Amino acid sequence: MKEFLLFLPLAIAYMALKSTVLAGFPLPDIPLIIVFYMAHRKAAVDGALCAFALGYLDDAMSGGMLGTSSFSLVVIFLAVHLLSKVVQFTTPAVKGGGVFAASLLKGALAYYILRAAGLDAIFQSGVFLEAAVSGLLAPAVFAVLQKTVDFATPRKFKDNEN
Amino acid sequence: MRISERNFYSFVKRHQLVLISAVLAFFSLHLALTDRKEYERGHILKEVLSYTVTPVQEALLGADAQVKGVWSDYVMLVGVNQENAVLRNAVSLLEEENNSLREEILRNERLRSVLEYRDALPFGTTGAAVTGFNLERWMKTIVLNKGLRDGIGKDHAVIAPEGIVGRTLDVHNTASRVLLATDARSNIDVIVQRTRVKGVAEGNGTDALVLKYVRLIDDVQVGDLVVTSGISGIFPKGLVVGEVTKIEKGRDNFFNHVEVRPAVDIGRLEEVLVLSERPLLME
Repeated sequence: MKEFLLFLPLAIAYMALKSTVLAGFPLPDIPLIIVFYMAHRKAAVDGALCAFALGYLDDAMSGGMLGTSSFSLVVIFLAVHLLSKVVQFTTPAVKGGGVFAASLLKGALAYYILRAAGLDAIFQSGVFLEAAVSGLLAPAVFAVLQKTVDFATPRKFKDNEN
Repeated sequence: MRISERNFYSFVKRHQLVLISAVLAFFSLHLALTDRKEYERGHILKEVLSYTVTPVQEALLGADAQVKGVWSDYVMLVGVNQENAVLRNAVSLLEEENNSLREEILRNERLRSVLEYRDALPFGTTGAAVTGFNLERWMKTIVLNKGLRDGIGKDHAVIAPEGIVGRTLDVHNTASRVLLATDARSNIDVIVQRTRVKGVAEGNGTDALVLKYVRLIDDVQVGDLVVTSGISGIFPKGLVVGEVTKIEKGRDNFFNHVEVRPAVDIGRLEEVLVLSERPLLME
């Protein structure tokens, strides 16, 4: 829960910037990277709740269909959690590749939900661009998230035996 | 406790993450698939966001212009000598003043055209500024700085001098969200101005609109103007929607696939007019 509370202001700031000064720019999907980060490290129930909450907030702030992003993010959280038992997301390249694939999955899930809801949407190449940007910048965002967690975690020192 | 119960609890405990994730995923899916129905969802969250995020968005859009000015007029001075710096600073201040005056002139011109357009309209409107853009892949909305307090309601038409912008989707006290005509959820009853052929202009998530239900025998040409038909009860009749840019034979051999370029360039939109009432109510 602590990580969720730490990342929530970051996600809100990102969403506010995305809709104003950075509108129209290809940006990394910060909520997705946060969910990926929480899922591959030590996935717990609060991570799933965080994925749902971030998706719900994203939909509410962007005026999208409520539930679209939260569904995608929860599915990605679960998929990354299960995958992390097999794949070690240790190097920046693997993390970047993982985020790229997760971003593509998010785009595909959103598309199929819209189709299932009866909307005549067409699949867009923008999904690949956003996935590429997210994948490329994911290692840097992971580092920032890690720094944020480290900063907020009190250091524990071993008792001096002497 | 029986063995089967113990097994069940241990199974739930072991797989609680998967189970909770599955429940959340199904709940989200239920929300998404029922969102198009007229249920009011997430109202409290959206109201809170309208009070907290909208002022921040307004401030950010204001700050954006200032930051750009600072970048071009100050940061570029780094590395020159003191005297040059003072002179350049003076020039940049004058340039900034000049820029802001030019910006004011442009703003006045824009507002004048909006006002002239408003005066020519036969129905009441409310002017509003755009404070946020959400141009996602399929979902396209903008945020306005006016809401219930200013007489704006749900499903009110939003227009600009060039044509229609969209309709209000969520209306809060001090802000409202507009569903753009290009959003995948949007559909507008229209007619082709030249030949009066009827159709429905639908968004598909791209920057263009698709004109549906135009038969192969219907007379539609590239360059034809598409206007609202007034049937839907949201948009008054005769407002410009866009221009036909592409016509192809549909896969069903019955309808044409017609693409329409919207008349309004959303990326350059700063002020809009919101109809005070819905056309049916006005009549």
